[in-house]
Amino acid sequence: MRVLDRSWQDRGVLLNSLPLLTLLTLFFIGPILLTLLLTFQEMRSYQLQWVWSLRVWSEVFSKYSYWVVIGRTVSMAFLSTFLCILIAYPAAYALATRLKNYASHIQILIIFSFLTDAVLKTFGWVLVLDRNGIGNWLLQHLGLGDEALNFLFTPRATLLGVVYNLSVYPLFTIYLSLKRIDRDLILAAYDAGASKWQTFREVTLPLSRPGLYAGAVLVFVLTLGTFLESKVLGGGKSPLAPELIRQTFETRVNWPLGAALTVVLVAIATIVLAVAVRLVQRTRQEQAAKGAEA
Amino acid sequence: MKHSLSAYHHMKRRTFLKGMGAAAVSAAAPLPAFAAKEQLAYMCWEGYDAQAILEPFSAKHDVAFSVDIITDSPGGFAKLAAGGYRDCDIVSSDLPWIQRMGPAGFARYLDPAEFAEQYAGFYPEFQAPFDPLLFDGKITGLPSRWGWVGPSVNLDHDKVENWRSLDPVFDPAYRDKICLLDWGEWPILPLVLHAGINPWDELDEDALAEIRKVIAAALKNTRAIVGDMAIAQKGLLDGSLYGLIGGGTYTTLNLRVRGHLNVVSVIPEERDGLKQGIIWMEATGLVDNGRNPEVAKEFLKYIVAPETARKLAITAATSNLVPTKATEDLFTAEERVALQLDYVPTARAGSNFLRPIPNIDDFLAIWSEELSAR
Repeated sequence: MRVLDRSWQDRGVLLNSLPLLTLLTLFFIGPILLTLLLTFQEMRSYQLQWVWSLRVWSEVFSKYSYWVVIGRTVSMAFLSTFLCILIAYPAAYALATRLKNYASHIQILIIFSFLTDAVLKTFGWVLVLDRNGIGNWLLQHLGLGDEALNFLFTPRATLLGVVYNLSVYPLFTIYLSLKRIDRDLILAAYDAGASKWQTFREVTLPLSRPGLYAGAVLVFVLTLGTFLESKVLGGGKSPLAPELIRQTFETRVNWPLGAALTVVLVAIATIVLAVAVRLVQRTRQEQAAKGAEA
Repeated sequence: MKHSLSAYHHMKRRTFLKGMGAAAVSAAAPLPAFAAKEQLAYMCWEGYDAQAILEPFSAKHDVAFSVDIITDSPGGFAKLAAGGYRDCDIVSSDLPWIQRMGPAGFARYLDPAEFAEQYAGFYPEFQAPFDPLLFDGKITGLPSRWGWVGPSVNLDHDKVENWRSLDPVFDPAYRDKICLLDWGEWPILPLVLHAGINPWDELDEDALAEIRKVIAAALKNTRAIVGDMAIAQKGLLDGSLYGLIGGGTYTTLNLRVRGHLNVVSVIPEERDGLKQGIIWMEATGLVDNGRNPEVAKEFLKYIVAPETARKLAITAATSNLVPTKATEDLFTAEERVALQLDYVPTARAGSNFLRPIPNIDDFLAIWSEELSAR
């Protein structure tokens, strides 16, 4: 196969990428730049004043409480990503290898969960987790006390809601990756004397990594933008960054500060994703090097 | 008077209901907007957009409404201030935000003589000159709904006597039984009054530091800080919450109208010379957008007319009191009980009228910071 080495100076490449570049500029880079510009302005009497000032940035970097919320949000994103993968991988594996007869039924259920609004699902959990909800009713009938499940309006309930709402994303991406693995490769590993665990570790897991990484990235980014779960299930006591941003824009009508907090969150997400991409690249290079040595 | 959620606001049941309401109004419009003689752009809270309210006026004056439902008053005002006022004729929002249209430069001031009949029909405290809606001595709007903010209590689970003050909010015995409504300044003002500080004074750093302590203590003892009214109401009804702070009649009257007469909103007793209740008001004002249609004035008169006010008092989403005195006679006996009309004199006597708060930005910043730092 001949690999074409084409440069960005190639007019054909530039023309082909023009629609994408235009879209990205108009709908992604442009709004981000406008948001950045907004951070250097001020509000007076609830009206935006175009005065170039660093006041908002000095507030962002001097207020400890903002960083507590941002730290809490990033921690929540990491934790929910880990839990979602932990739940989704075995489920996707079972779906791809053990439940083939029910695969189409389960796929329909997964699509339903995509189509069901997160608001509905989150409010549904209130009915389960409430002190007078189904969960406590069940535990009460099992003789575990009147209020055995005191879970609603706690950070754990927020985590539960996030994991519940988002685990379907890695489930889908990992399932697709697993389905694409050539069955002959696994049989070849068995023929070569590999145990089931070895085959999983050295064949299935590496080949399903693209789906795993894609799912992890989706969960991480979506968690950074979540605020419904912390408000509804978490009781609003441990707000996440999106809620802080909403409050700053809407309740305080401080658009420059809200914009600055948004920029900080986007920057953190970008840095984390850049590090993740770099790690993935390094892993691939190491694997390729090992393969070459073998 | 309502939350900023909404929020969630926004993505929630309330938004859905508002969307459905707006869709219903659009669907029910007798003529498409382009066929009507006049068009009115109306920014309002839910309830004001009810078909039963807009349709009769629309039919009588051959007016097509374009409704912009707001989910929080500051957000609605910010939209106007950012240039949206050019496309808006009438606004129904929380009173301070109608008054602020004056200093912002887009209020269409009212001639008191032209609205003399409407003022004469109001309860005495809402009659002209109605100070909270004045800017530079000029009238920015008319009050259109009101209620009081005080603790909301379920009498099946707690006694009114326990709420002579806001002490339960800080009482460890009530830990996990208190809910603060996350509705901008609404949960903050009762806490500030409880601390013996007048929120309508210009406050110094010491007073703000004291307010910070009070807010931190309240947040520490609370079970939830809720933006969605349905969640708060559910907790109050099932007894998992004993007291809601910051919602008052806005959270309880629609429950009472639906038969939950065990739920009440009360006013704590005077403390440190400060009345502890707050009378909140929504107002309707006209926007100076350069077009200034005459029919907008007619709508303003219509919205406070007794029959319209009756519809505005009890809507699908919320129930509230109205400033038009003659409306009282239009309520049934059950509705009068549900609306706590017998408690109105007590509430009035123990409450401050809401007006713009000099340190509102500081209050909201403190609330946000203390909540974030938890």
